[in-house]
Amino acid sequence: MDLSSSILTPYVAAAAGGHHGPSYWGLLIYLIFTLVILFALMAIAKKDFGNRVFKNRWAQVFEQLYLFVENLCVGIIGPHGRKYVPMMMVFWMVIFVANCIALFFPTSPTADISFNLGIALVAIFYVQYEGIKANGFFGHFSHFAGPKLGGAMVLISAMIFLIELISEMMKNVSLTLRLYGNIDGGHRAVEAMNELGSGIFVPFGAFLLPIKVLTCVVQALIFILLNSVYISLVTHHDEEHGDHHGEEPHGEVAHAH
Amino acid sequence: MTGNIVSIAIGITGLGVAGALGMIGSSAMQGMSRQPEAISKIQTAMLIALAFVELVFLLTVFVVPGAAK
Repeated sequence: MDLSSSILTPYVAAAAGGHHGPSYWGLLIYLIFTLVILFALMAIAKKDFGNRVFKNRWAQVFEQLYLFVENLCVGIIGPHGRKYVPMMMVFWMVIFVANCIALFFPTSPTADISFNLGIALVAIFYVQYEGIKANGFFGHFSHFAGPKLGGAMVLISAMIFLIELISEMMKNVSLTLRLYGNIDGGHRAVEAMNELGSGIFVPFGAFLLPIKVLTCVVQALIFILLNSVYISLVTHHDEEHGDHHGEEPHGEVAHAH
Repeated sequence: MTGNIVSIAIGITGLGVAGALGMIGSSAMQGMSRQPEAISKIQTAMLIALAFVELVFLLTVFVVPGAAK
């Protein structure tokens, strides 16, 4: 049996539109809606830019969000993590607002696998770009081959390289499926519980909303958390090249997921 | 028949994942109560572990129906 086609079946079905979500045009409208909310809030927050102290509530919210994301990036990536804050902010805001749309509307961009795949591809290519920028093109890819082994051990290096390559590709799939599964799963749970209470006119699904709010925050957080972990994996060898390259084979990253 | 296999697979995965999530949560709680000053670091590591465990369940949900055909 052809294994790859069977594993990719749900993807293919989702990509072909054989799923319960909106069409691509419908999705685009939801995406535009997300961006309009985001830009409106940022336009309100921008009014306070000249002041020494932010008095506008939205400016304060964005300030706190910035501090939070900066803290996270610096904590995980290290001192040079401040560079990556803008991209992380974009991911956090888009994913969070899109998740929150799912609380009020029948669907949302992040409840559809195509949007998630797109955003995960952007994230993974950004990681590769930053890795190449930090270590150089050959430095970045020789990084996949693990520690330098001489002689006949080159075969093992080649194997590690392949495993690392597969693991890099699976990062994309894992980011996509995590976001999609959580948001769409929440939707389906609410629908199922509403169905349960439809006989006595009680929307049981409404009781799930607090958990869904939590999921919205946590999924946006996990997305940027994992993204910064990936960035730290490809860029952190700048400083500590000498100390633990020997005892810590790089293939270890492969079976972390 | 396929439906049965899928249900059983998802049930077993749910069992394992629930246990794993509980273990991660409980040990993170213990660590936090032992060292409250390390809460932010423990939370980060906990969330990463939770994400990977959760992924196992999601992979089962997405892959098993395709593979059982």
